[in-house]
Amino acid sequence: MKTTIGKLLLVAGLCAATTPLFATEIVVIVNPKNPATRMFSEQAGQFFLGKSAMFTPIEHTDGTLRSEFYKKVLDKDAPQVKSIWAKLVFTGKASAPKEYASSAEVKKAVAADLSAIGYIEKSQVDDTVKVILTVQ
Amino acid sequence: MILTKHACCALAHHYTASRRGGKSLMAVALLGVIAVSANAQDDLPITISGFGTGAITKTNTDQAEFARINQVSGSRKDFRTSVDSDFGVQATAKYSDSLSFTGQGLVLKRGEHDAYTGKLAWAFGKYKINDDFSVRLGRIAAPIYMISDVRNVGYANAMLRPPTEVYAQVPMDSIDGGDILYQHSFGENTLSAQLAAGTTKSTSAGTAATTSIGTVAAQVTLENGPFTYRLARSQANVSIHSRQLDQLVGAVKAAGLGVSEQLDLIDFKGTFTAAGVIMDNNNIIAQGEYAVRKTDSRLVPDTTSWYLMLGYRVGKFVPYYLHGDVKQDSIRSFTSLPTAGPLAGLSAGINGAIKTGEQSNNSIGVRWDFYKSAAFKAQIDRLSPRNGNGTLINVKPGYNGRDVTVYAAAIDFVF
Repeated sequence: MKTTIGKLLLVAGLCAATTPLFATEIVVIVNPKNPATRMFSEQAGQFFLGKSAMFTPIEHTDGTLRSEFYKKVLDKDAPQVKSIWAKLVFTGKASAPKEYASSAEVKKAVAADLSAIGYIEKSQVDDTVKVILTVQ
Repeated sequence: MILTKHACCALAHHYTASRRGGKSLMAVALLGVIAVSANAQDDLPITISGFGTGAITKTNTDQAEFARINQVSGSRKDFRTSVDSDFGVQATAKYSDSLSFTGQGLVLKRGEHDAYTGKLAWAFGKYKINDDFSVRLGRIAAPIYMISDVRNVGYANAMLRPPTEVYAQVPMDSIDGGDILYQHSFGENTLSAQLAAGTTKSTSAGTAATTSIGTVAAQVTLENGPFTYRLARSQANVSIHSRQLDQLVGAVKAAGLGVSEQLDLIDFKGTFTAAGVIMDNNNIIAQGEYAVRKTDSRLVPDTTSWYLMLGYRVGKFVPYYLHGDVKQDSIRSFTSLPTAGPLAGLSAGINGAIKTGEQSNNSIGVRWDFYKSAAFKAQIDRLSPRNGNGTLINVKPGYNGRDVTVYAAAIDFVF
């Protein structure tokens, strides 16, 4: 009995160590053929605010992953980002990023476009995409 | 849900629009049709987006009306939707990675008639030369003010409307011609530059059409972290076609009053030079512009105008304060003109025509992002005209130049 509880606690502890219960680890991904290897948070952020058109941002539809990415990487909330894009779109300077409903779709879009940049949960990463930043 | 409701409002306005605007309204409607069919087929490289504002505006007086530039009538004591409401649809077709076409249709109450009219705000082809340079040909937004191209997109701004004092100085919205765009990022900085050239036309109340041939506008913008700095200069050869002014200037010439060489109506030079700053740092928002208008004709007076807006973000709310001011720099009357005798009336007429509205304004307001792509705003303005009626229009003889309070509430949305 005692050992079973001990084992359970140990397993629970391991789980907590690898996947934090309260926050999803987010990674920024690009196409594997993209020559970029690493990127700072500020650099990645500028694509999602339309400040640079070098990479094409791939967005998620409204949700917790997007809110967390905005908070951690852009230091903004959703209405602020929406307002910034409204400015860019209606000046004809840029088109708003394409939005996808799941990380699997974002991954697929990034894998299909050489210049694309996106973000997904770390647990969703496979070799169709390349991780260039782990969001802290 | 909200979008549908506003789209209906906009549609209702279509029906009340004058016949003159019919053609342009059809263009806007057509954009809408393209929008629907494009949405149906997700693979088409056409993106449709739109924006709008549904607003009500009133003041505390019936003796004068508060209006935005180029509006024939404004708001008095009763609530009106026409001052601050608008609706726009934009379509972009991507032909290839480097070539795209953009059109924007806009419905609002501006121009020589007191009715909602639709117009083609802009329509251009854009060619991306490389990562830094692009060229555009067609009808583009005239880069006169800092928020020139989004001044009708309420959602993209904190304030309910662009500050009246500065944004009433140049009536031109778009340039028919083209421009070169430059954008480059280095470190945390983004440098943008734009050089536009072409012709522009604006039709305003009182059936005065203004045409600017050889318009050249340039702006340089530097974004550095939370700061955006902007410098701009526009220059044009302006012509004003107005029967009233033609008659007035003709009479001055005929009477030999000796000031007619300062009263050019055709092909005189005008410049507009502006500096602006935007800050969005943590929760503090600030935006300010300072602008100088200069012309070679006293019929378009020289002015200095500016505003400063300060806001503080508290969750989904942004309360803000705005101060604006406009003053005339050129003479407000010709002292050499006779003030008595048979020509006194003509003198008064010409001295009236070389004056522009002077005023300051204090506003408080709040933006509330209550929905993911819609915001509610409320703003109260306290206008203080100086030496006359300021920017107020349709002033009745009883108005004595006292302060006017303007109340407005709006819902801005994008889709």
